[in-house]
Amino acid sequence: MPSLQHVVKDLLASGAVEVVIGYEKAPGQNRTRPFFARTPEDADRLVFDFSALNNLAVYLTRQKRPAKGKIGIVAKGCDARAITMLMQEQQLTRDDVHVIGMECSGVTAEMGADLSKDTLAAKCVTCKVQTPPLADTLVEGPKDYERPDDRNGARMRELEAMTPEQRFAFWAGEFDRCVRCYACRQACPMCYCEQCVAEKNQPQWIETSATLRGNIAWNVIRAFHLGGRCVGCNECERACPADIPLGLLNRKLGMVAGQEFGYAAGMDASAPTLVGTWDKSDRQEYIK
Amino acid sequence: MKIGVFICYCGENIGRTVDCAAVAQACASIPGVAVSVDYKYMCSDPGQNLIINAIREHRLDGVVVGSCSPHMHEKTFRKACSNAGLNPFMFEMANLREHCSWIHDDIAVGTAKSIDLVRIAVEKVKRNEPLTPIRVPVTKRALVIGGGISGIQAALDIAGAGFQVVLVEKEPSIGGHMSQLSETFPTLDCSQCILTPRMVEVYQHPNITLMSYSEVEKVEGFIGNFSVTIRRKARSVRADLCTGCGDCVQKCPIKKKAYSEFEEGLAFRPAMYVPFPQAVPNIPVIDRAVCTYYKTGKCQACVKACGRGAIDFEQQDEFVTEAVGAIVVATGYKLYTIDKKPDDSQYKGYGEYGYGVYKDVIDGLQFERLASASGPTGGEIRRPSDKAVPKKIVFIQCVGSRDESKGFSYCSKICCMYTAKHAMLYKHKVHEGEAYVFYMDIRSGGKGYEEFVRRAIEEDHVKYIRGRVSRIYEKDGKYIVRGEDTIAGMQVEIDADMVVLATAMVPQPESAVLAQKLGIAYDNHGYFVEVHPKLRPVECSTGGIFLAGACHSPRDIPESVSMASAAAAKALVLFGSDVLEREPVVAKVNESTCAGCFYCQKVCAYNAVERREIRDRAGNLRKVVAYVNEGLCQGCGTCNATCPSKSVELIGFTDEQLYAEIHALA
Amino acid sequence: MKMPTSTWNPKIVAFVCNWCTYTGADLAGTSRLKQEPNARLIRVPCTGRIDPVFVIKAFESGADGVLISGCHPADCHYNTGNYHARRRWTLFHNLLDFVGIDSSRLHFSWVSASEGKKWVTVVDGVIDEIRARGPFERYQKANSEFALPPALFEAAAKEVQQHA
Repeated sequence: MPSLQHVVKDLLASGAVEVVIGYEKAPGQNRTRPFFARTPEDADRLVFDFSALNNLAVYLTRQKRPAKGKIGIVAKGCDARAITMLMQEQQLTRDDVHVIGMECSGVTAEMGADLSKDTLAAKCVTCKVQTPPLADTLVEGPKDYERPDDRNGARMRELEAMTPEQRFAFWAGEFDRCVRCYACRQACPMCYCEQCVAEKNQPQWIETSATLRGNIAWNVIRAFHLGGRCVGCNECERACPADIPLGLLNRKLGMVAGQEFGYAAGMDASAPTLVGTWDKSDRQEYIK
Repeated sequence: MKIGVFICYCGENIGRTVDCAAVAQACASIPGVAVSVDYKYMCSDPGQNLIINAIREHRLDGVVVGSCSPHMHEKTFRKACSNAGLNPFMFEMANLREHCSWIHDDIAVGTAKSIDLVRIAVEKVKRNEPLTPIRVPVTKRALVIGGGISGIQAALDIAGAGFQVVLVEKEPSIGGHMSQLSETFPTLDCSQCILTPRMVEVYQHPNITLMSYSEVEKVEGFIGNFSVTIRRKARSVRADLCTGCGDCVQKCPIKKKAYSEFEEGLAFRPAMYVPFPQAVPNIPVIDRAVCTYYKTGKCQACVKACGRGAIDFEQQDEFVTEAVGAIVVATGYKLYTIDKKPDDSQYKGYGEYGYGVYKDVIDGLQFERLASASGPTGGEIRRPSDKAVPKKIVFIQCVGSRDESKGFSYCSKICCMYTAKHAMLYKHKVHEGEAYVFYMDIRSGGKGYEEFVRRAIEEDHVKYIRGRVSRIYEKDGKYIVRGEDTIAGMQVEIDADMVVLATAMVPQPESAVLAQKLGIAYDNHGYFVEVHPKLRPVECSTGGIFLAGACHSPRDIPESVSMASAAAAKALVLFGSDVLEREPVVAKVNESTCAGCFYCQKVCAYNAVERREIRDRAGNLRKVVAYVNEGLCQGCGTCNATCPSKSVELIGFTDEQLYAEIHALA
Repeated sequence: MKMPTSTWNPKIVAFVCNWCTYTGADLAGTSRLKQEPNARLIRVPCTGRIDPVFVIKAFESGADGVLISGCHPADCHYNTGNYHARRRWTLFHNLLDFVGIDSSRLHFSWVSASEGKKWVTVVDGVIDEIRARGPFERYQKANSEFALPPALFEAAAKEVQQHA
């Protein structure tokens, strides 16, 4: 079975790709960082393990792409779903990328920790894509890991059991901390708009000052714009300096997509998108 | 900006529950309002003059009239603005009548709400922009899809007015179902006798290009400017050489491998065939599925028979593109085949009637062929199984119609009449025979129709039984029809020799596919849908496309012909002008912010969103963005709402305008 | 018209499509069907044009409730605008409910041009429900009530003092 380094060396040496987006060890630290391998020698610097937290698909969006030609990319299951979604949204063609799919046994919630049941990222707890659904080359690896209880699931059920007033108070408390740094947007591979709705100022639909009202608008619309598109990589929440549980909002919409429409984002590049299509039998009990 | 506000009393209609003077006074203080007045009837000539004079005197650049619904007088007031030299799109209406004075009693409530409604309109009009109607040229040529009586009529009418028509028919000949009919109700005139002259007229008309054995492949463009790609299916016979002598058909040795579509399966036809002797054009077609040459390469009988060398086994489908300005859709109907295996298995159907199992249980079109002098029995009523003349015949109406659980909710409309005709024709041909009709109701609305049914009952002694048939089974060479006579309140059993089912009319099976190509609406049965059921019954919501005949809903020949002439008239109205003007409410893309996700394209019902490549100076592709073809855009704004980056705006209902309206409530 | 149960009058913003609901509301007027006066209609060509940001902005502008209404499925003047809208609404109203803006604040209906009576029932029903819920002050006063929490404010003030 070829190793990651071997695969990448071949791709770069043969000129099949111009660059490979992967992870390298951060010097002197127990963590990785994104790395663009451009020469066959660079391939030796690539690593992949539980500390490969970043969703590198973000570098495939038009404005962040490191090369004009074909790009190789190291992708976990969730990353591969984001790449798939970019294809579904015509940001990428199948020929633009060579996906090196990595079988994955979970990553840590925070950079620098060792992997254990307690440090496992929340998204990995319920993850079903240990093998990437899209890969040109598949690098096999361990797929089993011990999964703790679904803490976020329990949290969602708690929230859903609350009265609307309590839920509003909860989220007001969370959104109030938002400083509108937009790190959530920068980290998200699906936030590739060249002008975010938050920056549109004629008219200014979303208030830009970091006041609660504007923060509600921003966070609600951000989540809504990811409805049926979010692949659950949870990079937004990891990037958030205010620790707002953005993943819960995304997860809620993911559940709605699944329950109401049987839809999961980024599983099939040829599948239609959820928004942009319709069915006569779409449920509508809530419509009078 | 200088906005004028004009509050209408509408006599007492608004004035009774709204203090119009107070509204005008309050609105004068809305920022931007330069003049605010009230008047008894704004839509009257003095009222309009008031507006016109105010525009001129105060040099207004926006007008709000607080009166009735914009559906009532928007056009009137836009015209008044225009007359005063103000762009007509710098106008908005506040609906103080339908949405306020008529629905509230309290004058304080009505007055306060009216001020709100005017304020919203003022805030919107401040963000309006002068617009010019979109002008598009008109290609004065029409496409007619379907060569049945509806398509023939529409084509002849348009051609007769001096415009070019392309008539596309998927079968080898035009004529449609009408060419299969024996006689027509209520006059009993011979169907072919009245139809064939029109078919020939189509063929010979200098303005009509007939494309038989052809289908619409692709439709692009918009009203006045369609580009239609037509697939001309390979006949294996060169139309330019064929004289229609029929020698090849005579010599074709494959006589009994294919059922004749024209004879509804009651007879065979050769592999080389014309559907019927009067076919137009009279050019044969090779059925490649059964022809020996296409199977083994051995037979060349037709080639030898043809003195013109017209047989071309290598012929391929050809594609031609036609530019037209209007399209008439006249694709007609089919009969519901209720469990006639293997067809239509998605319907529960009437398996208990043994249709497709018992040879002598047939449908209405098959009976037409039996009754037709040109049919397989030469016009004698003989049952298919043993060619015996049936002495007792049962007709069953509403098979599949008016029965949602087994077919369709709708009434097929023509069956009451043709069943009466069938029974009458049978009695005329088999004098000693007995004819029974099972019916639910007799629906004989139409000129001379009720009289016709009465004649069947009273003069030809057809026995009408009100009730449904539960089952048909075979016993001792007879078909036992068991049903209920709801008037007598008893079960009846008739030992019939033959049964004719008046099966429901359904649209052509490919109608949904065609509708998608055309971008027109169709209902859950597959019938095409008109814009307005009362006032615009032949127009599709997609401009420039008109409907004729049974593709819209079940209808008989005179109705189809009237509808076809109506559709032709609508096309001719379009051809009456060189350019079209439409409201400029269309979407527009901001190319600099568009990220090219093309959700706008996905949600557009009119294929109005196209792709445009943005290149840098060196010619390198920078990105692909959306571009709205304003000729196709109908202005719904779904793209605008779907676009995450707000890079597409609907002119006339822009984000800025709507934001201002919402904000005006604060 | 029913008498208001309290002196407080809710503010309702209704986004309606031009072809069905707006015309249905016209019909209610033509039929002189009395209605509660709290709804302010904003006319758009199609429900497909209604963006969730409109709803957010309406609440920010002081709406106590929002109603969105258009043509019944299969009756859309623009063929499919309402189908696309329906999909977005399903996502959006679930999301809003999850952040505490529940279905008594945000309503949806299909009202055709011939359903003047239904329009009255819908509007009056929505107004009744919102009147029972009370003003949406939490949203309207969001900025004043949830201003910078005191602890954070003190910390920030201390930092400023140190730098001074």
